[in-house]
Amino acid sequence: MVLVDIRETKSVKASDIFLQIRPGKDFEVITILRALVKEQPVDESQVQETGLTLEQLQDFVDRMKKAKFGVFFFGMGLSMTRGKHMNSAALLTLAAELNAFTKFVAMPMRGHGNVTGADVIMRWQTGYPFAIQFGRGYPRYNPGEFSTVDLLVRGDVDAALILGADPGATMPQPAIDHLARIPTICLDPKVTHTSRLSRVHITTAATGISAPGTGYRMDEVPLPLRPALKSPYPTDEQVVRRIHEAVLKKPDWLQQGNRMALNQV
Amino acid sequence: MSLNIVNNATCTFCGCVCDDIELHADEERIIEAKKACVLGKAWFLNHTAERLYPEALIDGKEATVDEAVEFAAELLDAATTPLVYGMSNITCEAQREAVGLAERLGGVVDSHTSL
Repeated sequence: MVLVDIRETKSVKASDIFLQIRPGKDFEVITILRALVKEQPVDESQVQETGLTLEQLQDFVDRMKKAKFGVFFFGMGLSMTRGKHMNSAALLTLAAELNAFTKFVAMPMRGHGNVTGADVIMRWQTGYPFAIQFGRGYPRYNPGEFSTVDLLVRGDVDAALILGADPGATMPQPAIDHLARIPTICLDPKVTHTSRLSRVHITTAATGISAPGTGYRMDEVPLPLRPALKSPYPTDEQVVRRIHEAVLKKPDWLQQGNRMALNQV
Repeated sequence: MSLNIVNNATCTFCGCVCDDIELHADEERIIEAKKACVLGKAWFLNHTAERLYPEALIDGKEATVDEAVEFAAELLDAATTPLVYGMSNITCEAQREAVGLAERLGGVVDSHTSL
């Protein structure tokens, strides 16, 4: 196991090789690796910027090419530092390019229970995994433009439905401030930080504990949930369906067409 | 008091989604979560079937689910670009409903993946 990080973490003990890179140089490291995979010349000064030596990087590339089946596990250290989505995109490209030599995949490390399910469901229904805009009546995908933190910090949305999350406790302050400014609706088994800044809170049954359904494991294996308790509250599924039904009784904005122009941003 | 034992229960606390947990529960709470890790045990033992919270709140005041659903639909329908966000600690069935709602609203749908 090769561990790449900006500092020595507890995972170092479990790893065979630890590559300590300079903070904010993820994109540079991945790009150099891509060049080495294709046997392209690499500038020594660019290698120095990364905090690693050319020997270390070349050794890493040789190991990856020799592997029978390689996996990149990546987390928010990659996607939330300088470069953001471009870092993730670069890593996915590196994994794709390594398939010219061996089997290689990239898998995001998941913090929350069924975030993998969210990817799978959104891909199934819209063709895209997250950050999807329906403002033109068809799905458009653009992380950085339609991703939640960016939308909230820029103030691009004027209402929010939050379910299975507590952004009021975890997001950057400007994003939380915007959630508090706009009408926010929160569905959660508990009254959370987000509930307190919301105009509407609805208590729901806890997923997998008192709400049945399906959840996806990180490697995209769907698993049935087996609740042990009966909740006095409705499930998220039931509440969202009821909100959807109530919205369906109102005139369809797309048919009216008049709000189309507003969404053509 | 009857003890309900669930074999091969699925833990949705983190992305590992272990599916070999043995849960011992009475009517109101899970008493034991065998084979679960520290995080999983806390997850299972922390959620109960008690009525600890009001069923709904509107502007901080207690309300019925009917009222809250109706008001939520009004707020979302009135918005130009509503955001549907989170989706991580809910079932796939609920996620499907949420994507359908976002499409109808002409809004944005996003999950923790964007973080």
